[in-house]
Parts: sequence; C-alpha cells; structure tokens
Amino acid sequence: MHYSTKKWLVIKLSSIILIPLMFWFIVNLASIYDESYAEIVFFFSKSSSKALYSLFLIAAFSFFSLTISEVFEDYINDEKIKNVATKMLYVFAIVMPIITISSILSLN
Amino acid sequence: MFEKNPLSPHLQIYKWHLSMILSITHRIIGIVNSVAMILICLWTISLLFGEENYEIIKILFQSFFGKLLITSLSWSFSFHILSEIRHLIWDLGYGFDLKISKITGVITIIGSMVLTIIIYLFGKNII
Repeated sequence: MHYSTKKWLVIKLSSIILIPLMFWFIVNLASIYDESYAEIVFFFSKSSSKALYSLFLIAAFSFFSLTISEVFEDYINDEKIKNVATKMLYVFAIVMPIITISSILSLN
Repeated sequence: MFEKNPLSPHLQIYKWHLSMILSITHRIIGIVNSVAMILICLWTISLLFGEENYEIIKILFQSFFGKLLITSLSWSFSFHILSEIRHLIWDLGYGFDLKISKITGVITIIGSMVLTIIIYLFGKNII
C-alpha cells in the first residue's frame, strides 16, 4: 500500500474514533471547567475518565498531526524545511499526549 | 522539480461560495483545535501543581473571558464534528450533488451553533 493511502486511512480512522470522544470531552468540559480544583481532580481520578481522556488525546493528536502535515504539504515549498517541520510535529504529537496521560494517571 | 510544485490556489482569485467558505473554515478550525488541544493538555498538567496554584486558572475560567473561551471551544469542536461527518459521507461516495452539498453545508453551519447551545446547556445540567 502506498504511503499516502496509509496516511489517508489513518486520518479517516482517527477521525471516526475522535468524533464521539470529542463530543464526550466537550460536554464534560462545559460541566466542570469552572468547578473547584477538588471537583476537577475527582473527575480525572475516575477510571472511566482516565481511559476515555487518554483515548481522546491519542486520537486527537494523531488526527491533528496528520492533518497539519497536510497543511505543511500545501504551503511549505522548501522540501528540507517541510521535512524538518513535519518530523518536529510528529515528535511533539507523541510527547505531548504521553506527558499529559502520565500526569492524569498520577492524579488520585 | 519539487520546487516548481504549485501551492494551493490564491483565495483572492475566485468568487466566494459556500463550499469554499466551509473548506477554508474547516482548515482554520483544524488549526485552532490543534492549538486548543495543547492548551487542554497544559490545563490538565497544571492540576499536578496543587490547589493553590490552580486558583489563577479557576478565576480565569469563572470570568466572562473563561465562559467565552469555553463557548468558543464548544463551537469549534461542534463545527469540527459536523464537518468531519460531512467529509466521511463524501468518502463513502455520497453527497457530491451540488444541491445536497449546499444543504449539508448549511446544516454544518447552523448545526454547529445549535450543538454549541445543546453542549453548554447539557454541561450545565439545564437539559
């Protein structure tokens, strides 16, 4: 399978996974954002929240990194700059969710 | 050869129409949501610094700016959800007809606003 076909399939798969998780997260965010520190920690301490939030982050960063790499493809003409920018984007999209998921896993 | 690849068409050349507006908005919202995801991660990580340090964020969220921020985020997420569903329907081979495409475009715009209100009311246990 061609690299571009694989990339397109991953974008579509992450999009399908992301849609319900995005809805779940935004409804919960609208419900807790102005609550006390204890309430927010309580929300993220629940096993279901930890699991769904982790999945949401993985799906969101997979989807957004791949779609932003498409923006780089469209607007960056210099191949070297484009490759460096894309690689940096992919590294960031792996590191950021790992740090965030680790932080919520340590909340009790 | 690669240096002569054409970039995306310049926006000022064409007359603006609904599909074009939605396509550009979809891309801009994608970038906005990517930045929002980074802020959401930083907000989650900030919980590790304890209750006293979280007070500043709590005051921000309880202010008018905080409510505006969450409402804007609800809209950008809603728009993304509906626009992605529209793209997935296209990927299945449906909805390319000009009239249907306009209808789904209008549904995406109006639906994102309705969904924002529903999310906010649902989140606040009003409905």
